[in-house]
Amino acid sequence: MPNPKDFAILFDASRCIGCKACQVACKQWNDLEAENTKNRGSYANPPRLTSHTWISMRYYEGLKPDGDPYFDFIRGSCMHCTHAPCVTACPTGAMAHREGGVVTVDEKTCIGCRSCVQACPYGAVHFDEARGVVQKCTMCYDRISHGDQPACVKACPTDALTFGTYQEIRAMAEERVRVLKERGHTRANIYGLRELGGTHVLYVLTEHPSQYDLPKAVREAEKRAATGWLSAGIAAAALGAGLKFIVERREALKGGNQ
Amino acid sequence: MITANFPNPIGEEHWGIWIALYFFLAGTTGGAYLLSVLFYPENQKLIRRSALWAFLGVVVGSALLVLDLGQPLRFLNLFLGGFYPASVMWLGSWFLLLSGAGLLWVYAQPTSRKAQGIVAVLVALVVGYTAVLLMQTAKPFWNASPLLPWLFLASAATAGGALLQLWQHHEKLSRLVVASALVEGVVLFLHLVWTYPVAAGAVLALLAGPLAWAFWGFVVVGWGLPLFLERQNVTLAALLTLVGAFLLRYFVVMAGQV
Ligand code: SF4
Ligand code: SF4
Repeated sequence: MPNPKDFAILFDASRCIGCKACQVACKQWNDLEAENTKNRGSYANPPRLTSHTWISMRYYEGLKPDGDPYFDFIRGSCMHCTHAPCVTACPTGAMAHREGGVVTVDEKTCIGCRSCVQACPYGAVHFDEARGVVQKCTMCYDRISHGDQPACVKACPTDALTFGTYQEIRAMAEERVRVLKERGHTRANIYGLRELGGTHVLYVLTEHPSQYDLPKAVREAEKRAATGWLSAGIAAAALGAGLKFIVERREALKGGNQ
Repeated sequence: MITANFPNPIGEEHWGIWIALYFFLAGTTGGAYLLSVLFYPENQKLIRRSALWAFLGVVVGSALLVLDLGQPLRFLNLFLGGFYPASVMWLGSWFLLLSGAGLLWVYAQPTSRKAQGIVAVLVALVVGYTAVLLMQTAKPFWNASPLLPWLFLASAATAGGALLQLWQHHEKLSRLVVASALVEGVVLFLHLVWTYPVAAGAVLALLAGPLAWAFWGFVVVGWGLPLFLERQNVTLAALLTLVGAFLLRYFVVMAGQV
């Protein structure tokens, strides 16, 4: 659970109009180059996050079972997890929590091993080939640590993005879900309360998270590694003993006629 | 902490050929050392020779790992950066360092059985951690089943046995290689079935997609053929097994990232 005083962002999918103002503001404030992309038949563009695209909106459209059309948008970016797999996997301490619960990478220490890239369940860290280190959303740490809002939040024209303390943001999210339910969005929910120890970016959704390709039941990196060590230990013991048994018992049986 | 800025000119986001080659070298030579300690305790010459090979495997493998970093000159941060036992990458770096030192010691002078056993534990950790490293990530093909350590350890036994066979033909070795190859085949099959529901893309890429050459190359040339040839031409079978061991690491590493 994040500290109530931590920095946090609320993304309210029911208010988002998919205008990508946040995406553009992020590129501008953080001085990130444009991507050369192709039309893939979706509004999502760039199609995925990279070392110089730290936030990108995703779009989901289709028909509901009752024939009503839907067109949903979701923010794709770092969630600033409390038990962040990228931080756990980093062998140098370059990827770490800063004051206020924000996860950033220290570019001067990072060795470019990409453990964090592989570990993030949201695909939010990427390797910058030109610099040899990884890059990701910083929640505009340079702005928020001086009392300003992140660039994406500042640019949002519909109040779909809000910045504040975790306590405020969480209360807002709960209130918003209550209102949405009252208005008939029976599946309205908050994403990010339980995931990875609670994320510092909370989403208010009108549909089940899987509708937006958001992973449910994400496992923490410590648990994934613990399973691995346990399995490796059992495997080593079983294979060692098993092979020894097979080989030496045969040997013993044949011992007589050698 | 090293902060010198020297981006790797061949750096890329994928864990690719260098990682696969390192897994292969460490797994094969480490497997050979483990087998000689476990099954030929009386043959000190063999143990010391395989210690030398495993030492070279660890050194060359580590060099490949450094070569793969985005900031190769900063690799010392792995050791100077702090204490991160939850990061499998960090633990693995220490296993490599310690097992390298231990193997050199075993090679350089006659050592007690106990000392060789301790070094064997370190080597087993090197062979096993590579699978745990993959399991700590968020990639379903690597972490959805707990079988990766079984696969890597069984493959290390097969390939390590094949490496020993190049120096000495021995009935016991043949039985070892055949038994561990059979385990390897079963584990690989189970892993594919187990991960298919969540990592269909990866499994299909192996069976009929861009990685099919490596997968079927392993199954036919690097696994099936050597099993068949084991009775006729041991040296050829051993060489093919080594090729297979490399293909296995290669397609496992690549399939996780499709
Ligand atoms: S979303 Fe990914 S990059 Fe962001 S804190 Fe979580 S694991 Fe790290
Ligand atoms: S790439 Fe950098 S930040 Fe990511 S895990 Fe490696 S050292 Fe840490």
